[in-house]
Amino acid sequence: MTQTKVDPFSLEIVKDSLVAIGDEMFYTLGRTSMSPIIYEVLDYACGLTDAKGQLLTQGHGVAGFIGMLSFMVRDVLEKFRDKLHPGDVIIINDPYSGGGSHLSDVGLVMPIFYEGEIVAFSANKAHWTEVGGKDPGSFTNDATEIFQEGLQFPCIKLFDVGVINQALVDLIQANVRFPDLSLGDMWAQVAALRTGERRFYELCERHGKEVVLASIDHLLAHGEQIARKELAALPKGTYEAVDYIDSDGMGNGPFRIQVKVTITDEKFICDFRGSHPQVLGPINCSYTSLVTDVRTIFLAITNPSQDINDGVFRPLEVITDPGLIFSAQRPAPTSNYWESGSAGGDLVWKALAPVLPHRLTAGHFLSVCAVTLSGKHHVTGEPFLIVEPSVGGWGAGEGMDGARGQFCIGDGETYNMPVEIAETRYGVMVDEYSLRCDGAGAGEYIGGSGVVRSYRALSDNQTVTVTFGRHKFLPWGVRGGEAGSPNEFYVEKANGEIDGPFGIYPRYPLNKGDVVKLVTATGGGYGHPFDRPADKVALDAKNGFISIEQAERKFGVIVNPATYEVLAETAERRGYRSRQEERTANE
Amino acid sequence: MRVATDIGGTFTDLVYVDDQGEIGVAKCPTTPPHFEQGMIDVIEASGVDRRSIETFIHGSTVIINALTERKGVKTGLITTKGFRDVLEIARGNRPDLFNIRYAKPAPFVPRYLRLEVTERLNYLGEIVEPLDGEQVRQAVEQFRREGVEAIAVCYLHAYANPVHEQETVAIIKRLWPEVFVTASHEVTNEWREYERTNTTVLNSYVKPTAASYIDRLQEKLQASGVDSRNYIMQSNGGTTSFNQAKEAPINMVESGPVAGVYGAAVLGQIIGETNLIAFDIGGTTAKCSLIDKGEVKITTDYYIERTKHSAGYPIKVPVVDIVEIGNGGGSIAWIDEAGSLKVGPQSAGALPGPVAYGLGGTEPTTTDANLLIGRLAARNFGYRVDLSRVEHAIQSKVAGRFGMSVEEAALGIIRIADSNMLNALKLVSVRKGYDPRDFTLVAFGGGGPMHAPILARELGVKKVIVPTASSVFSAWGMLMTDLRRDYIQTYIKRLGDLDTGELTRVWQSIETQALRQYEAEGIAPGDIMLARFVDMRYVGQEHTVKVPAPGGEWEGSTLSELVERFHSLHEQMYTFKLEQAEAEIVNLHVTAFGKVKKPVLKKLDPRERSREAALIERRPVYYEGEGWVETEVYDRTGLAPGTGIEGPAIIEEKSTSTVLHPGQKLVVDEYGNLIIHTGVK
Repeated sequence: MTQTKVDPFSLEIVKDSLVAIGDEMFYTLGRTSMSPIIYEVLDYACGLTDAKGQLLTQGHGVAGFIGMLSFMVRDVLEKFRDKLHPGDVIIINDPYSGGGSHLSDVGLVMPIFYEGEIVAFSANKAHWTEVGGKDPGSFTNDATEIFQEGLQFPCIKLFDVGVINQALVDLIQANVRFPDLSLGDMWAQVAALRTGERRFYELCERHGKEVVLASIDHLLAHGEQIARKELAALPKGTYEAVDYIDSDGMGNGPFRIQVKVTITDEKFICDFRGSHPQVLGPINCSYTSLVTDVRTIFLAITNPSQDINDGVFRPLEVITDPGLIFSAQRPAPTSNYWESGSAGGDLVWKALAPVLPHRLTAGHFLSVCAVTLSGKHHVTGEPFLIVEPSVGGWGAGEGMDGARGQFCIGDGETYNMPVEIAETRYGVMVDEYSLRCDGAGAGEYIGGSGVVRSYRALSDNQTVTVTFGRHKFLPWGVRGGEAGSPNEFYVEKANGEIDGPFGIYPRYPLNKGDVVKLVTATGGGYGHPFDRPADKVALDAKNGFISIEQAERKFGVIVNPATYEVLAETAERRGYRSRQEERTANE
Repeated sequence: MRVATDIGGTFTDLVYVDDQGEIGVAKCPTTPPHFEQGMIDVIEASGVDRRSIETFIHGSTVIINALTERKGVKTGLITTKGFRDVLEIARGNRPDLFNIRYAKPAPFVPRYLRLEVTERLNYLGEIVEPLDGEQVRQAVEQFRREGVEAIAVCYLHAYANPVHEQETVAIIKRLWPEVFVTASHEVTNEWREYERTNTTVLNSYVKPTAASYIDRLQEKLQASGVDSRNYIMQSNGGTTSFNQAKEAPINMVESGPVAGVYGAAVLGQIIGETNLIAFDIGGTTAKCSLIDKGEVKITTDYYIERTKHSAGYPIKVPVVDIVEIGNGGGSIAWIDEAGSLKVGPQSAGALPGPVAYGLGGTEPTTTDANLLIGRLAARNFGYRVDLSRVEHAIQSKVAGRFGMSVEEAALGIIRIADSNMLNALKLVSVRKGYDPRDFTLVAFGGGGPMHAPILARELGVKKVIVPTASSVFSAWGMLMTDLRRDYIQTYIKRLGDLDTGELTRVWQSIETQALRQYEAEGIAPGDIMLARFVDMRYVGQEHTVKVPAPGGEWEGSTLSELVERFHSLHEQMYTFKLEQAEAEIVNLHVTAFGKVKKPVLKKLDPRERSREAALIERRPVYYEGEGWVETEVYDRTGLAPGTGIEGPAIIEEKSTSTVLHPGQKLVVDEYGNLIIHTGVK
């Protein structure tokens, strides 16, 4: 180890500079991208790894990519070994190996050389609006094989010693529906890689290679130490949870899934063996993707606010058998991989929520709730394509009501599309964007409302594809809190006919005047509803989060419908409260 | 005489310049909640003749305080039917990615005070459904019953056509003349309904606070015999009249901090430097902003309470583009759970303050570290400094943990703080595609002159200027301001579809509006200066680039010129350009300045000043890579223009010190500014 030679402050300064480089790469890609899925949804990540592929720093907008960059780099190392040169860029999206998610997420990797040897890798991964395949937007609800989901880039060189592989670019150009968007994003990714390379080089120039490499060791060790410290404070033992994934979108399901979490002094083990095998429809995920989702919850439990690097995850172990819905194998489709991946993370969350109230809440709407809407603009006649995730309700926790209208755990620093921008760009009018106040998720702390977003088609022959999980199995409550409501959508046709509710639906046709009404789930509640103070219940009713009738039936509080004052409490609530008081007195 | 007062958290500063160009300063404690009292005190303390004050310029934190302390009024919101929850859903983002207990920022208006009315425009601004005035009336009734004091109105696509908002305001004013009202088109004309709604709501929320504050200020001034033209400093780096400030107080949100940036630009003009980085280190934060070819950068991408861990609240008004980080003189050095040394963002504040103040502070701060290694002198503090306490704090909290000497530890604290600040400086310069070698750093605030020379060298900046009055530089900047208004109009058009005749008419209508507003305020047409900008991007992109645009009638050649500028700016910022791709306009932006007469600065009198007489002492100072070096310490007020000093040296003045490192050189210019050559070639 070279560490002893370097003063602790230099290590610290280089370590902070590495983190700043990740942020700058992220910023560069976001600012130069052509696609809303990147600049609004921030469905991409950028980072640096060391020469062995260990993640050093990552700038990210969504939780869903934590860990995938290192798998990509390791794939590159394995395939090319000593055949990497300065100026090379490798492209990869194979979900079963280094790519990790679905074909739409395209990864680029660039080796960084200093004094003739590889000292690090610059890498990123971004959701391209189009990678070809059978449906516009590429990811789809009814693929049964990966070949229907778009172009596969099996870890090949996009640049060879700084020279672009034009044949590959031409191939992409010919095989995707919006080549300007896809190639524009590819160039944005290349710009970000180069930024990372340049900054890392400057860091070596400024501090010397030895100090930089020592700082890398220091950075990884620092991450590991913090994680271990938090791990030591967790309650040791084994925790289990079972849940169901609704459907694969092909009429099959529900699928039983399970986890056994074992926390020891040294390890945090999540064992998913016994869960359902891979399925026909495209809701399978690869092992990499499962690891990513489990990492997200692991961070939530150990230290939500720290910088991310591979050292942090050293105590974590994720176990599956091959060929499960969580560890799909070729050629299983993985378009909607997040449905099973998130469900895997959610199982760990559910298993531990009752014992870790200071870090975890009740269940939330969970699904990315993806919507793909395509057609022609009613004024300009140009084709348009909306690809967007939806916001929904979060679960309540100790001391807090659930958040209303917020992106799911798999997303993050993701932004919804402003109505004014959507109406300008797309052939739709938004009739409503409001909170879904259905009173579900009752509890001492109430679940956060989902939302209602309604698109009215302004031209004929539009098509909407909706992928809403948690349509049948609801966001779960904790400690006596009620479950939330389902994610669902309806189609209200121009002729007054209403179709639905649906969860997953491929290519529903819309004509002028038809409305697709997207409704996301309200989160689960925390604690018994009778423990919610009466004046808070009255204010909930005044704000319209619950009805007067629900105030009485669920919370035992009778509220004046004109003034929203508390009139009385029901006998049931009073009985419960006095039993609670007795119990407290006895303890 | 021009007088500027800047009300800060701790002190109220005053700077004046008289007709001979003579500058004077005064400082008094800030007096919450009756801030106007502190201002009268400082006028008193300055000794200026009240009747001779012709122009009075004021900066204040009253608006930002009312927002962050939630001291505004109960506000009601009226929206388009179906959209009252936009304010609460916001953008749905969750920056604290791994925190499942993330607390989404609560809206400033609760749901029961968010009411909807039937009306609808489409994206072209055409009326799809007329306004139902009866529903407006009902909303007003309900607001009255609930004890609302201010109302915000925000309808979809009002940036394209404000007609329904105007009708709504007219109805409200007729029914309830005394209530405070803001409609979105009065404060911002950019698309994005959440950002616009929030901006409108926050303006209404602080409108009564601003009105009573400005009214009291005016009364106090008049009562004390001041009969001046009065202006308020706005976030865009310009001033506005008291009346206009009462209508759109949200424009005052960064009233104080931006004045320093503007001051740097003015100073640059005077001494012939147009590419500048303004760098201000205060007690709790460091701020920086880049000035490109004399132009202060303005953005409407501004938030309050936004951090790495919180989405904050957007305010879509023009604000000088400043990067701020939690590192200042009072920032605390601490060791995290894995043994890494960190500095800030926690600050010891004014109370207890650094250990050196002797007011009960026990945590070592950047100021303590600077004192311990000799960069600051104990006698230059306003407090009795107990050096052994400072040494003990750094020994026990830092040096002991790493097994090193106390001066090494102190230098470590400064290096970490410098590293944080360097990242902020990079954020405004290299990361935006600017080469620091083309820029000069202007350093001010209590800590700026101390840290800037070494940071500039790290960044690759050749020259640093420490201005005279560097510790009250923000107030100095205010003295030099012009009236300024920014008109930003969303106008989505691809260049290929553009009708230059129509565009010229839109420009002219914005400019006519600007001219009329100034003329109504008594500004002569010859003193009004207009500048055009276009926010542009490639079709399909989201983020825009602000492109300076020519004035007058537009024709085909104007567009090609514009596109050329856009391509090259895009390449500078983002490393590439797409010459084949189509470009589009998103916003038209007109900046209107009302030029006011400013005194010429007086040059420094060389008499009775000399380097020898200014030498205070020689004392040991600890430098990175050099260790303790015997260093000459000078009193800045004694240095004559033209004096040259080679580093290592320290130049002391009231409340700050300039640290010149070995290998650096300094010259005092004719105005008394310190010009430092950092050693960068």
